[in-house]
Amino acid sequence: MLDLLQVVSDGLLFGATYALIGIGFTLVFGVMHKLNLSYAAASLGGAYCGLLVLKVAAGAPAGLVFLGALVAGGVIGWLVYLTCFHFIPLSNPLATLMSTVGMLLLIDEIIVHVTAGMPQNYPAMFEDVMLHVGGFTLRGDLLLVFLLSVLCMAGLLALLYRTKLGLATRAVSQQAVAAQLCGIRVARVNALTFIVTGLLGGVAGAMIGAAVGALSPLLSAPLTVKGLIVTVIGGLGSIPGAIIAGLLVGGFENVFQLYRGVTERDFYVMLLLFAFLIFRPGGLFAPKTGRD
Amino acid sequence: MDFYYGLAQIVGVHTLLGLSAYIVLLTGQVSLAQAAFFGIGAYTAGMLTVLAGWHIVPALGAGAVVGATTACAVGFPALRVKGLMLVVATLAFGEGVRLFFFNFDYQVAKGGIKVGPLGGEGFRQIRYFPEHGWTTGEVMVFIWAFVLVAMAALWWFDRSRYGAVLRAVGEDELAAQSVGVNLTAVKVSAMTVGGAVAGLGGGIYAHYTTHIEHSNFNVLVATFALAYPIVGGLSNVFGTLAAVIFVQVFLIEGLRDLGDWRNLLFGALIILAMNLRPHGLFGRRRA
Repeated sequence: MLDLLQVVSDGLLFGATYALIGIGFTLVFGVMHKLNLSYAAASLGGAYCGLLVLKVAAGAPAGLVFLGALVAGGVIGWLVYLTCFHFIPLSNPLATLMSTVGMLLLIDEIIVHVTAGMPQNYPAMFEDVMLHVGGFTLRGDLLLVFLLSVLCMAGLLALLYRTKLGLATRAVSQQAVAAQLCGIRVARVNALTFIVTGLLGGVAGAMIGAAVGALSPLLSAPLTVKGLIVTVIGGLGSIPGAIIAGLLVGGFENVFQLYRGVTERDFYVMLLLFAFLIFRPGGLFAPKTGRD
Repeated sequence: MDFYYGLAQIVGVHTLLGLSAYIVLLTGQVSLAQAAFFGIGAYTAGMLTVLAGWHIVPALGAGAVVGATTACAVGFPALRVKGLMLVVATLAFGEGVRLFFFNFDYQVAKGGIKVGPLGGEGFRQIRYFPEHGWTTGEVMVFIWAFVLVAMAALWWFDRSRYGAVLRAVGEDELAAQSVGVNLTAVKVSAMTVGGAVAGLGGGIYAHYTTHIEHSNFNVLVATFALAYPIVGGLSNVFGTLAAVIFVQVFLIEGLRDLGDWRNLLFGALIILAMNLRPHGLFGRRRA
């Protein structure tokens, strides 16, 4: 029983990173009604750029690496918007889907090219700290990852519901044309959405690097899949949904791993998704109006 | 010369893969499950020739039938969700199938060695062509016979009433439904035809590579299947063929001299193509 609890808590902590990736997908989807398939790769790209800090100043504290990843993530987010969305007519969903796939491949290849395909070690915030509560162990670094994720989510929710930019973003996501008629510059809001999700992605990438201990371009495909699953289970366009679904997927994944082994783990995660699609196709928090 | 025959084989198989996504795309559905149907066809046909000793033509037919059946079965629940939800649902299905093959062992001792699929190590010894003494040229002609039949069939579909109905659903579901088109029937039938074409392509693929494994049917392959018709445009089947030639011959073989830089250019060129020609390289601009 203790084993199970331990496994679930580890999964929940790691699930926070899935939640962050899921938020990125869901936010872009909510605002533009488009899927940005390059998001997970861009997040990893941001995390890799964070490593550049160590190149410039060897022995820099891990906090600086995280900050570098945050900034780089934002810049990459803006570049993705510019190259994959800005000049392509919004009425054509296939074209932007394909251009983001192109971006996914491009980012992956740039990473492979620069690092020669070798996994890169990622600094942890601090050395192994274990919290013991009874027979129960919590990995200190995972706990920090979790807390940082919660902090990011809180920041995002504050941005969306307490600022003018957030109001504009929500207005565009509800009715782009009406928002434009009210004097909101839709293109600017779209670009800002990409920058904000990029910032989140950079942090998420850095935390995944810290939690796993290393970064590899091989991570981008599974992260894309997990992020999309989280988005759908949570309900497209719903931020609280993505958070809860991220934790749910993280927890379930570890339980399946405990009972069925690592090779079959993801298979059961797919089954979980299918159960949701059949019994609750709108996800946990489906938007009320039936949007496509 | 064998090099060019080999290249033509690759183009043929990828054309089948692209065509399977093409017909589904006509109904406005984006399916990332095509690689899964491709894989199911590959494993089915491979197991039939290697383990059951079938002739290749019925084995390919069986691959196509199993692919179509799976696609039909997936179509009903998956098409309850629309648009981007469907992308994710089919993506998850595709990954599920890949993970199934990753864990799939079925080995039979044959002539001193064990043959058959073996989990992560894949399925080796699908040696129908070499065992029966087919030359590369003959294999190429064999493959292209199937590709041409599939292209002709889809071209004819496209021009028929059925094609008009598919496009009507793709242009505007609501309008199509209000003139009496049965949306579920149209979408599931398109999915089934797509599954059959993908299954056929997979069977051929298994036999010309002689070794298949789960990673041959991953998300990247599914993305390529979608990329061909989208990059080529949805006007007719030749757009898909042209896109396959553009990607496989020009981008992958033609730029081989560039070495490492080729992979970088690949993604960048897709982005550029979509920016310049959002309706596909050979697509007509829709009104």
